[in-house]
Amino acid sequence: MFWKSTYNEFIKIAAKPRSYIGIGAITLLVGIILFAMKMDGKMYISFITAPFEQSLSFEGNVLNGNLMAFIILNMLIIHVPLLVALVTGDLVSGEGAMGTIRLLLTKPISRTQLLLSKYLAGCAYTLVILLWMGLMALFVGKMLFGSGDLMVLKSDGLIILQQGDLGWRFFYGFLVAFLSLITVATLSLTLSCFSENSIGPIVSTMAIIILFTIIGTLDVPVFDSIRPLLFTTHMAAWRSFFEDPLPKSQIINSVVVLFVHIVGLLSIAIYKFNRKDILS
Amino acid sequence: MKNRIYFTISFLLLALLLMQSAEAQTPNQMLQGVYKMVMLAKDYSVDANIKVDLPFIKILPINAKIYFKQLDKFKVESKSIAIVPRQGFDQFTKMLKDTTTFTSIVTGKEQIGTTETIVLNIIPNADTSDLILGKLWLNKKENVILKSQLTTKSNGTILTEFTYGNQISYGLPDLMVFTVDIKKFKIPKSVSADVNNAKVTEEEKKKNDRKGKIFITLSNYIINKGINDDVFKK
Amino acid sequence: MSSTEKIIEIKQLVKHYGKFKAVEDVSFDVHRGDVFGFLGPNGSGKSTTIRTMLSLITPTSGEIRLFGIELYNNRNYILSKIGCIVEKPDFYKYLSAEKNLELFGRISGVAITKSKIHEIIEFVGLKGREKDKLSGFSHGMKQRLGIAQTLIHDPDLIILDEPTTGLDPQGIIDIRNLILQLKNERNKTVLLSSHILSEIELIANRMVIINRGKTIIQGSVSELLNAQELIVSIKVDDVRKSCQLIENASSTATIDHVENDSIQLHLTQEMIPTINKLFCDNGVQVFSIEVKRKLEDYFLKLINN
Repeated sequence: MFWKSTYNEFIKIAAKPRSYIGIGAITLLVGIILFAMKMDGKMYISFITAPFEQSLSFEGNVLNGNLMAFIILNMLIIHVPLLVALVTGDLVSGEGAMGTIRLLLTKPISRTQLLLSKYLAGCAYTLVILLWMGLMALFVGKMLFGSGDLMVLKSDGLIILQQGDLGWRFFYGFLVAFLSLITVATLSLTLSCFSENSIGPIVSTMAIIILFTIIGTLDVPVFDSIRPLLFTTHMAAWRSFFEDPLPKSQIINSVVVLFVHIVGLLSIAIYKFNRKDILS
Repeated sequence: MKNRIYFTISFLLLALLLMQSAEAQTPNQMLQGVYKMVMLAKDYSVDANIKVDLPFIKILPINAKIYFKQLDKFKVESKSIAIVPRQGFDQFTKMLKDTTTFTSIVTGKEQIGTTETIVLNIIPNADTSDLILGKLWLNKKENVILKSQLTTKSNGTILTEFTYGNQISYGLPDLMVFTVDIKKFKIPKSVSADVNNAKVTEEEKKKNDRKGKIFITLSNYIINKGINDDVFKK
Repeated sequence: MSSTEKIIEIKQLVKHYGKFKAVEDVSFDVHRGDVFGFLGPNGSGKSTTIRTMLSLITPTSGEIRLFGIELYNNRNYILSKIGCIVEKPDFYKYLSAEKNLELFGRISGVAITKSKIHEIIEFVGLKGREKDKLSGFSHGMKQRLGIAQTLIHDPDLIILDEPTTGLDPQGIIDIRNLILQLKNERNKTVLLSSHILSEIELIANRMVIINRGKTIIQGSVSELLNAQELIVSIKVDDVRKSCQLIENASSTATIDHVENDSIQLHLTQEMIPTINKLFCDNGVQVFSIEVKRKLEDYFLKLINN
């Protein structure tokens, strides 16, 4: 019954117009970035290499598809979580607002199974969003800009990663990025269990992300103890795969923190959903 | 005011030259000898291995192909990103082409390895010159430069050390080591791809004022076989 | 004739929301084969009781047994044998009627085929509209689709909460006939909550009336109503004389209400021809005799007391 319910949820997500907002937005955003870089990418490169330009010259295909993919992935921080929450935040509360929750919960499927089937479908949607972004970024980027080494700009310098060394980095980077987006999906689904309308969970999810991001970036000692525990601090963990040497313990720590958030939030969602009186 | 200073320095240098008139060659003559040497190679292509040791850049050694054609056509071809000194490989040919644009003075002798070199200071005659000050360590016997330190307005100060092998007859080195100044690397956090907000340590702060090196190992020269100008188009 | 097997047993059901008591003490039984009327004024706790039976709401206390077994330990099994409409039927507006039925049918516990779906759609009068999106459906059409989804998995117990709301007169008749068909031909048990008391009176064989969260009365419809007096409205030419005749006759009829051209009496069914003869013999012209809806009055009397 769980898989039947999951299949139902896939159908619902695929049929909802709002599901295509995310895909459309990513296509547009990626297209705009690629167009802008095609027109003025050299200026962007100059900005990166400016501190060295007096003495050094960077030869080779600096503005390449791999750099485009990296820049586009950086969008993950604020933009794509919203697109994910737009769908996953509606999974439970949307049914309440529509009234279909009444009928759904009178079917012979446990509430836990129903919620998990919605969650699985939401995760699948998140994967589609990420894969689409990866496809656009890597393949279209390489078609337009060719291949080459990746220049990663950090606050303490430049790292230039050879193109032969990038495949596994992008793969694991995407995996960890997926994990961070799943955390956002789980948060919005949990908030959805507490709400009777669609907008509340979506706005609340974004508000929490923005608030935690601000706390994470404020260089104030009072937040030092909680900063490592915030999931937003670890949402950019995928970028660790583009460092040399690879900060393995940092990556593992981020993965663990994100997993703990996912499990904790999902537990709260299951508890709330099971005890919820359906009054709408 | 500047002209006056140059005039004064020139006068003193002239006096010094007269004192050294017992030497067989003047500095300019020595440099002309070097110029003739480097002009022997009208064009060449060479395999290069570029290794960078700079304080703010992490990059693995890469292989590249370098093309050069007199007087100033220069191209680095590589699948990877190659970091090379901005001044390129044509610094001497451009500088030594017209010795009237600068004044050269022998300031002494220095041992580099087993070779005794003559140390020459190069002072440009005009304010408008890109070169501010130059120092060359010349192997007079082979008419090659073993070390150079050039301070230019556009590229700052670069110290270059040359090691020669089979192509010494063309003045083409097997190894070039460039030492550059990298100062005060600063980049806005909004642009950087930092994951962590770790505080900068004192040691890291000291990196803000350091030198770095670029090692270019050259092999398999193909000299004077003709290189099409299209190769140098970007 | 109702069997003695109990399909629904509700015992001392209580549901509180903080200090507010939505249901205080509701108890009733529904037997196999019943068309069971579930009556109560607005806010009496009907909806809360139905939702509790369907595990949409967790009761504060009380016992709920369906098909002879306790609800909360056997929820999935019990729900697989129930088809229901709770308040208005809501579906996915962005899907077609057919897709909606497929979706809900898929998780109803039995295999649902496309031919079964088409059969049900035709049965409820939506043939030709199965591919249309729900956003274009009228309220009546959604109601029909709601009934379709209660039947799609052939359940033993059907719970209908206001099933005729928004339907036209033909639609109401169709639903009534459908319910009777389900009972008589397929031996289904139907729990029917409705405000249209005449419909309940026509099709229900047993009923319960609740008010302010408590059971007022339950039992067979015919037994409960026949035990009571009727209210009869008689249109006459001389109301004053008619009233005098009734008072002088010292019959079991009592005057309930007098209007300009009619008199309303409380009396048993057997007394109607006697009163008619009394008026005619004494020169009072009788234009019409109308028996007012029994259940409606019975209901109002119980609620107001």
